[in-house]
Amino acid sequence: MGTEEGGKEESVELFCPSEEEIERWMARAFDMAKEALENGEVPVGCLMVYKDKVVGKGRNEVNETKNATRHAEMVALDQVLDWCWRSSLDVKSVCERIALYVTVEPCIMCAAALRLLNIPVVVYGCRNERFGGCGSVLDVSSADLPHTGTQFKCISGHRAEEAIDMLKTFYKQENPNGEKQNHSACLFFLLLTLHFQNV
Amino acid sequence: MKRWKGSPCDVDSWVALPVLSDEQSQDVELVEVFAAPILDKKETSRLVRELNSLCPLRGLQHVKRVRPCREKPHPLEVLVCLVSDVPQMQVVSIDSLLPSGGVNCNGLGEPFVVKVPARAPLTRPQFELASQHWPTSFHEDKQVTVALRGELFSRHQKERMHAYMASAVTAARDGGMAGMEAIGAVVVDPKTERIIAVGHDCRCKHPLHHAVMVVIDLVARSQGGGVYGFDSYPACRFTSASSVQTEAQTENGTQPYICTGYDLYVTREPCVMCAMALVHSRIGRVFYGVASADGALGSKFKIHTQKDLNHRFEVYRGVLSRECEDLNSMNDHIKKDRGE
Repeated sequence: MGTEEGGKEESVELFCPSEEEIERWMARAFDMAKEALENGEVPVGCLMVYKDKVVGKGRNEVNETKNATRHAEMVALDQVLDWCWRSSLDVKSVCERIALYVTVEPCIMCAAALRLLNIPVVVYGCRNERFGGCGSVLDVSSADLPHTGTQFKCISGHRAEEAIDMLKTFYKQENPNGEKQNHSACLFFLLLTLHFQNV
Repeated sequence: MKRWKGSPCDVDSWVALPVLSDEQSQDVELVEVFAAPILDKKETSRLVRELNSLCPLRGLQHVKRVRPCREKPHPLEVLVCLVSDVPQMQVVSIDSLLPSGGVNCNGLGEPFVVKVPARAPLTRPQFELASQHWPTSFHEDKQVTVALRGELFSRHQKERMHAYMASAVTAARDGGMAGMEAIGAVVVDPKTERIIAVGHDCRCKHPLHHAVMVVIDLVARSQGGGVYGFDSYPACRFTSASSVQTEAQTENGTQPYICTGYDLYVTREPCVMCAMALVHSRIGRVFYGVASADGALGSKFKIHTQKDLNHRFEVYRGVLSRECEDLNSMNDHIKKDRGE
């Protein structure tokens, strides 16, 4: 598991999930991804946890909303905001104590949104080679962007192969000839899937 | 829209310039090469043939092998080999540079070092700079050349662009009055010349509702989707897709798909989130008024030219730049009032 430094030192030092928490919440995120896969949806699970409580979770809603920005993280962030407003809590002080658990690396857009809301820690499974905003395509999480919220810390690689396997399986379901493909063709189509689904 | 028709010469007050990739906008990088004078002009074609086959210039296919000389005793100069390909030596002679027995150095003078462009020029300004160092070939993209001169758009097109950005400026002001940052955006279908959606920043209500995110959702609503209601902001509006379906669209049954083929006009350069949202939305082209500090379409990143991404698009800056600049001072007032 890799850890990249970034973010406001003091808040990151004060606030970082333990191994046990990572294990537990990532298991929940993977359950969500599996459930999505069983329902023929993009297998990405995403949870926002504040003080040991899930205050936001999401799945990709691009197709039904016809809005290509409705990634799981954006849906979950909306729930966090709603929760703050309902609970009459200050958005910034809540967000500064939230950890995001997600099975796939957030894309460039989602990474910037997480910065804008001052989310300090993101735990993710596999890399997102097509759109990743935590180092794969661009490193938005630690870039010098003084007007774009705060940098965040990434803890990556948790059950990465499992996350990739789910994405591969998702593609095979979409394509009945899936089992005939060799490994590299599989990867190629996985990228295509990511391409069309805008994960 | 009508009030802008009264002042058509306003279009001369701004120039839309393309925001090109780093490769297209960077300075000319140079590399050191040994050259030698051709003392006997009659030997030129043989020398070039032999040098090309025995000492090819790796990665410098864009550089011409020979240049004519004025104001020098010899008529021509020829490139021999890259300096980096020659082992360090005290005295360089033409014989030591050439493979023994390969090139007959009859007619060649003693070598000297020149600097030649390391990469093929991609734009006319790069070509002109490169050619000052050594003759260079150039496969010109005429559209880029014309765009860099600020002459890509016809008067009619500029009038349309002016009107669209004016709508974005008006929306920005309406947003500013409602306590938001004064930033506005308009999505247009350039084929029908119709406005699909107009919106402004709504971040007071939702910190991620930047003007671009607002219009992307309004476009989704115009296609029967969408997530948010911006109904409490009358300046945020859309035209439903079914009412603007062109005859061609109805005939071949194509439905509009997210922002494919649409143009975005936004008063200020989009941030990273908004720029990537435009990639996901398959926007056609983006026009913005002024740059922003953390902007991702030219200032901090050029997400529209990012090689690894699956969708790229053209970006132009400077449309109605003065009016868009004025919105920044409105924002400064808003921030002051809020005590920020």
